[in-house]
Amino acid sequence: MAIVANENTRVVILGGQAAVNAARRMGEFCHLCRLPFYVEAFVYPPDAGKTYDIPVGSQIVAVPIYATLAEASAAHGTINTALVYIGPARAAQAAMEAMDNPKIKSISMITEGVPEKDAKLMIKKAKQTGKLLNGPSAIGIMSAGKARLGVIGGEYNNLILSKLYRQGSFGVITKSGGLSNEIMWIISQFADGITTAIGIGGDAYPVTDFVDYLELFEKDPDTKAVVIVGEMGGNLEEGAAAWYAAKPRRIKLIGVVGGFCQEKLPKGMKFGHAGAKEGAHGEGSARAKSNALLKAGAIVPETFGALGPAIKKVYEDLKAVGQTTKAEDIAPSELPQLPRKVEEGLKSGMIAVEPLFKNTISDDRGEEPLYCGYAASELINEGYDIPHVIGLLWNKKLPTPLEAELIKRIIILSADHGPAVSGAFGTILAACAGIGLPQSVAAGMIMIGPRFGGAVTDAAVYMDYGLRNYPNDIPGFLAYMKKEVGPVPGIGHRVKSLKNPDKRVQEIIRFVRENNITSPRLDYALKVQAITTTKKDNLILNVDGTIGCVLLDMGYPVESLNGFFMLARTIGMIGHWIDQKRNQGRLIRMYNYLINWAVTPRRPVPKLPKK
Amino acid sequence: MGLFQKWGINVPHHVVISDAEQLDTLASANPWMKNAKLVAKAHEALGGRFKLGLVKVNLDLAGAKAAAKEILAREIDGMKMTQVIVAEMVEHTEEYYLCVKSTREGAEILMAKFGGIEVESNWDKVQRNFVEVGEKSAPGQCTELAKRCGFTGDLAQKMAACAHSLFDMFDNEDGQYIEINPVVVDKKTGDVVALDAVTMLDGDARFRHKDWNFNWAAEFGRAYTEAEKEIMEIDSKVKGSVKLIEIPGGQVALLPAGGGASVFYSDAVVNLGGTIANYSEYSGDPPGWAVQALTERVAALPGIKHIIVGGAIANFTDVKVTFQGIIAGFRIAKEKGLLKGVKIWVRRGGPNEAIGLAAMRELKNEDFDIEVFDRYTPLTDIVDMALGKKKV
Repeated sequence: MAIVANENTRVVILGGQAAVNAARRMGEFCHLCRLPFYVEAFVYPPDAGKTYDIPVGSQIVAVPIYATLAEASAAHGTINTALVYIGPARAAQAAMEAMDNPKIKSISMITEGVPEKDAKLMIKKAKQTGKLLNGPSAIGIMSAGKARLGVIGGEYNNLILSKLYRQGSFGVITKSGGLSNEIMWIISQFADGITTAIGIGGDAYPVTDFVDYLELFEKDPDTKAVVIVGEMGGNLEEGAAAWYAAKPRRIKLIGVVGGFCQEKLPKGMKFGHAGAKEGAHGEGSARAKSNALLKAGAIVPETFGALGPAIKKVYEDLKAVGQTTKAEDIAPSELPQLPRKVEEGLKSGMIAVEPLFKNTISDDRGEEPLYCGYAASELINEGYDIPHVIGLLWNKKLPTPLEAELIKRIIILSADHGPAVSGAFGTILAACAGIGLPQSVAAGMIMIGPRFGGAVTDAAVYMDYGLRNYPNDIPGFLAYMKKEVGPVPGIGHRVKSLKNPDKRVQEIIRFVRENNITSPRLDYALKVQAITTTKKDNLILNVDGTIGCVLLDMGYPVESLNGFFMLARTIGMIGHWIDQKRNQGRLIRMYNYLINWAVTPRRPVPKLPKK
Repeated sequence: MGLFQKWGINVPHHVVISDAEQLDTLASANPWMKNAKLVAKAHEALGGRFKLGLVKVNLDLAGAKAAAKEILAREIDGMKMTQVIVAEMVEHTEEYYLCVKSTREGAEILMAKFGGIEVESNWDKVQRNFVEVGEKSAPGQCTELAKRCGFTGDLAQKMAACAHSLFDMFDNEDGQYIEINPVVVDKKTGDVVALDAVTMLDGDARFRHKDWNFNWAAEFGRAYTEAEKEIMEIDSKVKGSVKLIEIPGGQVALLPAGGGASVFYSDAVVNLGGTIANYSEYSGDPPGWAVQALTERVAALPGIKHIIVGGAIANFTDVKVTFQGIIAGFRIAKEKGLLKGVKIWVRRGGPNEAIGLAAMRELKNEDFDIEVFDRYTPLTDIVDMALGKKKV
């Protein structure tokens, strides 16, 4: 058996983040002990109507959140226990509400810093309503193998090491939360483990104290001995001693009290717990408490260090008369393990995964991005430029100085071509409709395709095809294109012609020639132009075709080629969007006179045929 | 004194000054300063002022001015006296006692027809009246208490009224312990006046008392040190807590985790005849930087030979994070030339204990004199080892 918390415990937790953290620890406990998850609801008005998702083993349990305790209790009739994790200003009010709820039998208040007056009012209320209120400042309640209220017991591995997955023979009551864990650990090493451990909190006025729980332990046949850890201040340890001495008790009582150091320290010094201070007239010293316990017949080790051996002695005595549990320890390997996070599993080599995709160019897992292994900051400090980054991310190698220069020139020449072309106009239309920058630029980007700026890749691909299959037969190539593809990508311009040449194309060609860059595909494309312009003056090699041929000859992958135009033109499109914003450009509506209204004149609508 | 006036309890006429010259101007507006005998005291959060010579009595205005000047020039434990309170000496013949103290069920009103130093020796003759929490003190109750103490007639009514007011103050201001000793009857006016008082209020209730603007006194008769103030300031800001009280002359510095375990570490040192250089604890999963600040202060304690980085098995305090703070603090201390000849003893368990302890062990490679133990070494064994009672 166990006290207060057991297999019938069903919990509502009042609070936000701290409440969720506690629920997670409780989920771990359920996983270890193979128990159904017993946190039924949260009360937290800011998140009411949502759920908190709590991992229990490898499952995720969605626990509903309510605005009030009354709603939670009405929706979950089995809730009998409340955990209070809300701030000190409102904690007492919440606890009062919980005590007024007929279905809730016990409450653990974890909140620290609750005013003493509020604690005293809760004491009064608990008495009136007959409810058990654990806290304030309590770490919670652990009934080994049955139920855990709060984070008591700490992390998963400690639950296993301290054998909290099964019942033992010892009860634990401590003021200190950290020491409750320590005592459970000591009992698991020196004896057979705990039945229930309770932190009552270190405040001056815990609502329930040693005696309340000693009474319950006395009635729990599985609990054979109880370890209490007290400290100076107040008179709760004296109360425990008086209870133990009042009549013969079934349970053995082991008590240790902290605070002897006070005899050697400045009078009135405050310790970590609010209740750990001497009374104004010297009452409540550790020595007085220890003596009271000793006089009452309790086993009182002289120091904390002597506690383990004292517990062992009690355990051996109990064992000699067949009083201890027959509970077997379970090897940690037989217990459920906490499911590992994928990252942890990979690290330890326990699991393998099939990656979703492969990445070969950039790595941001360290403290700064690496482009093909080069740290971005080092590239900057070494004086590298944007064309080098393009080379690394698009072609996985650093371009030669000449290549870098050519890329730079291509970008400068392609950055913009005025507001009237499809891309810029798309962006401007969107900008004037009040659309944001990314969407407006995307509107312009959508225009890039076979007729506008998007022919770089195709031009390179087909010039390459021609060079390989019709090296000395341009008419043959053109015939092939006409039959199989259509207009030759990279050839033709809407306004430019032989007489009105495209300056950009001339610049690139000049740079290639002057620097003796070999570009057989450019040479081939110029031969194609020589034939096509004889048919029509504007069938010239355009900027897409020029760029595509040169870049392919420089070793850039076919897939990257349209990217040069897109990258460059993005600069222009962003510029047009900013320009329209600053101009406060009005919504654009097409003029009727710019539309060829080739429409059917108005006519009567026929009657809709009945079914 | 403001709080007593707020609840209708008479206190002597008084002024608070930060410069002795202010007294002349104040005296023209406050005739009592020229007509009555005066007392001057340091107005600081400091106990034992009389012994320290920070209270001067039976003064006239010129005497008060001289006394104020003298007090304002004083410095106690590095704390400069910045304010002096000059009050009327209330002429009286008898002294009485009034107190309200908290109990688990409510409060007790204590009253006696004697006061001052007589209270300690006649403690069993002090009369008591219990008021349950959530209840008001009934008017007749205090009168009955006053009569039980031996007060009669008009004085009984006045003492009852004063006790009633004191209870209201206690109840409404989240009192823990409020003692007026002595209560006197002003010969001139016949009023019941609170001459001196100890007021302990519940700091946890600060959130509902926006008008609390006073300084909180250290509870052990000295001003807080700079290091203590710094840690208190951090403590008030962070999740969880960090605490430091310096105890000059100790050789064993404490840097333990947890309000409960820290007390047992202090006990273990004292039990073996050791002397502690401080009381400290961190708990409630505080951020690493707060623990680092505490570590730097603890490492700087003069004359220490050992630092005990102890702790039980934490429930939710992250051992890795808090130990990272401690490690960073130790490194900074070492750079400053501290920690020479100081041995560090570590014992801890809890969330991320393996990582935290491993990081601590790494300090050995940085020339720290450090011994690190895990949960399999009992809690206070590191103290036994530090003080040579047990072999490492």
